Amino acid sequence: MASVKLTNVKKIYGKDTVAVQDFNLDIADKEFIVFVGPSGCGKSTTLRMIAGLEDISEGTVEIDGVVVNDLQPRDRDIAMVFQNYALYPHLTVFENMAFSLRLKNAPQDEVYEKVVNAAEILGITEYLTRKPRALSGGQRQRVAIGRAMVRDSKVFLMDEPLSNLDAKLRNQMRAEIILLRQKIDTTFIYVTHDQTEAMTLGDRIVIMKDGFIQQVGTPTEVFDMPVNLFVGEFIGAPKMNTFKTQLVCEGGKYYVTPYGAKIEITGKKAELLKEKNVQGGEIILGVRPEHFVLSDANNPAAIPCKIVVNEMMGSELHLHVVEENGDKLIVRIPTVSLEDEERKALVYGKTIYVTFEGKVMHFFDKETEKNLLV
Amino acid sequence: MNRLNDLDYLKLNKFQAFFYNLKLFFCAIPSWLWGVLLSLFGFFKNCWNWLKNEILDIGRTFKHGNWAVKLSFFIFGFGNLFYGQILRGILFLLFEIIFIVYMIVPSGGIHWLGKANFFQTGATVGDVPPLKNQYDPIMDSYYTIWGDDSVKVLLYALLTVIFIIAFIYTWRLQVKQCRICMEITAKGKKVKSGKQDLKSLLDDQFHKTLLTLPVFGIGAFTVLPIIYMVLIAFTSYDNAHDGFSNLFSWVGWTNFNQLLDFGNGGLGITFGEILSWTLIWSFFATFTNYFLGMFVAIMINKKGIRFKKFWRTVLVMTIAIPQFVSLLYVSKLFDDSGIIGKLLIDWGWLDWGQSLWDNPTSAKILLIVLNIWIGIPYLMLMATGILMNIPQDLYESSRIDGANTFQQYTKITLPYMLFVTGPYLLTSFVGNLNNFNVIFLLSGGNPIKGTAGGASVGHTDLLITWLYKMTLASGDTKYYAASVIGIMVFVVVAVLSLIVYNVIPSTKNEEDYK
Amino acid sequence: MKKQDTNTIRKKSMGVKTSRIIANTIIYAILVLMTIVWLFPFFGLVLESFRVEIPQQVGYFWPKEFGFDNYVKLFTQTDFLRWFGNTAFMGVATAVLQTVFVLMMSYTLSRLRFKGRKALMNLMLILGMFPGFLTMILIYKVFYDFGLTENMAPIGLIIVYCASSAMGYYVSKGFFDTIPKSLDEAARVDGATRWQVFYKVIMPLSKPIIIYTVLMGFMAPWGDFMMAKYIIHENQLGMNVAVGMYEWMSVTNMNTHYTMFCAAGVVVAIPVVAVFLALQKYYVEGVTGGAVKG
Repeated sequence: MASVKLTNVKKIYGKDTVAVQDFNLDIADKEFIVFVGPSGCGKSTTLRMIAGLEDISEGTVEIDGVVVNDLQPRDRDIAMVFQNYALYPHLTVFENMAFSLRLKNAPQDEVYEKVVNAAEILGITEYLTRKPRALSGGQRQRVAIGRAMVRDSKVFLMDEPLSNLDAKLRNQMRAEIILLRQKIDTTFIYVTHDQTEAMTLGDRIVIMKDGFIQQVGTPTEVFDMPVNLFVGEFIGAPKMNTFKTQLVCEGGKYYVTPYGAKIEITGKKAELLKEKNVQGGEIILGVRPEHFVLSDANNPAAIPCKIVVNEMMGSELHLHVVEENGDKLIVRIPTVSLEDEERKALVYGKTIYVTFEGKVMHFFDKETEKNLLV
Repeated sequence: MNRLNDLDYLKLNKFQAFFYNLKLFFCAIPSWLWGVLLSLFGFFKNCWNWLKNEILDIGRTFKHGNWAVKLSFFIFGFGNLFYGQILRGILFLLFEIIFIVYMIVPSGGIHWLGKANFFQTGATVGDVPPLKNQYDPIMDSYYTIWGDDSVKVLLYALLTVIFIIAFIYTWRLQVKQCRICMEITAKGKKVKSGKQDLKSLLDDQFHKTLLTLPVFGIGAFTVLPIIYMVLIAFTSYDNAHDGFSNLFSWVGWTNFNQLLDFGNGGLGITFGEILSWTLIWSFFATFTNYFLGMFVAIMINKKGIRFKKFWRTVLVMTIAIPQFVSLLYVSKLFDDSGIIGKLLIDWGWLDWGQSLWDNPTSAKILLIVLNIWIGIPYLMLMATGILMNIPQDLYESSRIDGANTFQQYTKITLPYMLFVTGPYLLTSFVGNLNNFNVIFLLSGGNPIKGTAGGASVGHTDLLITWLYKMTLASGDTKYYAASVIGIMVFVVVAVLSLIVYNVIPSTKNEEDYK
Repeated sequence: MKKQDTNTIRKKSMGVKTSRIIANTIIYAILVLMTIVWLFPFFGLVLESFRVEIPQQVGYFWPKEFGFDNYVKLFTQTDFLRWFGNTAFMGVATAVLQTVFVLMMSYTLSRLRFKGRKALMNLMLILGMFPGFLTMILIYKVFYDFGLTENMAPIGLIIVYCASSAMGYYVSKGFFDTIPKSLDEAARVDGATRWQVFYKVIMPLSKPIIIYTVLMGFMAPWGDFMMAKYIIHENQLGMNVAVGMYEWMSVTNMNTHYTMFCAAGVVVAIPVVAVFLALQKYYVEGVTGGAVKG
């Protein structure tokens, strides 16, 4: 139940290994914010600085308007869930969850009420007398969350809480965290390397790379308007196709010419290009796999390519194809859009023609890799 | 030497690769030595830089500090008191007062420092020799007026030096703290109160609480005595110059020269002989135990062998029984009248009075053999633990790849063991260098070779037992020589460790086998 | 498959079985032989402790006459009981103090990060390269002045054993290093001070290493001869068992005290072996961990 504000936060390890820098972020009260990025991007470090587990080299962290740089973790009124759960092996589930209350010498009634309450929400009441050793991964995860819940803290920190679970359990727990969030109304800061988690959980997403914030925005914003090539490729699965191509401006209209095809840019993107008065030239074009459609040889906008792998995902097909120059592309096609026979014909070595619509692509500068429309 | 690139290296066959690596190793020695030299140089440079920065910082503090800071240059803790850190301030001030009082009282610091004559070759430690044979006309007898005791003079002088260093450090500390207080106050924040200080001793300063006692123990009972003994190595402290009935004096490098003097009056030859036997002993004691222990562990842990626990417990008994019982008893078994010794005589293998302990060569071999008896159980336990840690799938996959038991041993078990126990081998080697118990209780260093450094020396004496005999030899203890030997042991161990740590892989790539 | 092939395979599998039996037989033979070699001295010790005909070495294994004379003499005519008490007292005191020191040092080095940590570790590494006995010369002089030698030697020796024992922190630091750091962090976020982390989280998890350290501390005084002899000299009242019994095996005393030594050896060995075997598990863990961590 508090806002968190980070100003010019920087973290230096040793003499000159910079882990995080220029980190500025305002987190509103009761917001669910997700730090996402590849490993080593500084997201966990930032979280640990907020928690007080790492010193802050420069800049300030404020919780509820109070600078907490010099406060011990216990004085910051935060709760945290760790990647490997960090349950105390020698204590029962009940005592694990009660640990922080015991430290405060809370009366037994209060401890009981809070712990049992949290256990009920998480559905782990029947395990309260067990030791963590006797629990499954998912159950341990719940205990770890429960331990954080009983604290009633201002900020709820989660450091890759789902990454030790298997895929099925992860999906289930993800849904539960969304539910949980509705029950405990507080500020969440969630760290993950998984863009799906980031997209589904976050009110806002902070995408990081090499210690720098790349983009902050709602899931829709970062998906629709990635500020640079990195964000474009990082968000969305399978990953966005990118290739170098020419942007041509003829008679007030913009075209891209990937692999000999000529596709007119339409809709909002065309307006924006005009508005920004973008010149033609070589750019990096980004097209998400789901924006490709199958076409035929007669279409001037079609790109011929050969199928390398056909992954049948159930509701959709992922076609890994090679364009004539050797560039690899991924094309995602809804299964229902194809007849059985058509689908079966998409085998290794077959040539297909793909194209994409003029309104769904992203343009990046080939030098700076920045989005030309931002 | 030009290095091959990875792909060219892979073309070499076993022998070529071996010689290539050997060549690489020897070619790397100069650059390695150079690296050691450089890092030493870097160390001194860092020290110098640190000192420079400290002095500059002190100057800056004085220049920019307000009057409270400036005053704290002379009155300890003044700044702390001024900024409200009463507890710290009082402690600092108390320290200064105690120091000054200690230094200037009649038999205080300055007094002892003056008497010690540090490193003035030829000067005695302490300056009032005892006056012997004083005649007491009333009692009609002779008595002695005791003067200085060199041992105490040196100790107190050393303590005074340590006190002075602590004083300078504290001075610097409180000046720095005072400046920090000033800066904090200037920013409008509050300085830590005494109560917070005490609280933080259980939290962010918890290490201070935990370390005080152990570090004090190490300081008082290891660091201080070792510095003291290093100083003794430069004096003539022995039975004849015991400090109180006869002052001892500073002799410079004489003792070291004597140890490395291979001529007649010197100890050079004895030292060389004992050192080489010490190294030979350590080598065999370490590696025989290592390989045989591992062998036993593998046997006991082999699938299909039953009563594993029984075999293990039998061996472990040897560890449990105090060494002096088992070693003394076993040693006597080989005496002329011992069970085994007598048997050998009865069989006509040995003559009466010529037991295995009486011949230098057989004594040495017997020591190594008996050390195997002592050492195998320990190694067996350790190897068992490590063997269990080797992932079973390595064995399974190697069996599918077609390895037989022996190949599994040489290709999987041995490399794994060697990798994991690399540091242990070093520790164990050093432990054997100083393995007093086994040598002293088994052979006592005998058979006797002669007398050196005031003590009788035997063929099986290690440096450590020689050192021990020097300090206990009746009537002719040579403490200075013992100190020199101690320093030599340190040099040997340090050089060995330096080499080993640079050669063995496990100190570098810790993650290889994880 | 051709018939021939199946035959060779059958032959091969027979070979595996027989070679395994042969290998196991050899191993059993070696193990039995080893058992004899390892246990022979201890049987000898026990047997000779019951031998009453001659109190010296005789050169044969089986006593001609059995009896408890040696044990009776041991407890009635010598100071053995006193030595035994001294050593047991030292063992218990060392076990407690050494454990406290070692745990404090190893926990700090493993868990807390502070200025000078690396320097402290390097210092201890370098100090460890000096023969520890060297320190005894000064320590003896000082203890002598404080009256902690001779018959007060047990007190002095306890100080010697414990004061610098924190230098042997390696094994338990290795153990602490294996406890995940996130446990500390979780506890700190939960509101624990470092001290609370230490005694509420880490200590309950450290039972194996505490027992190992206690065991090592308890065993040390039973086996120490070098330091003890230096502090005790010839004083009968201050001796530990090692120093006292060593005298019995000297050339002058051996002909009269040999069998008594054996009896005393048995008496000394029983409690130590009992404690050791009971806690063997922890010892093995410590030894293995120590070797791996180096």
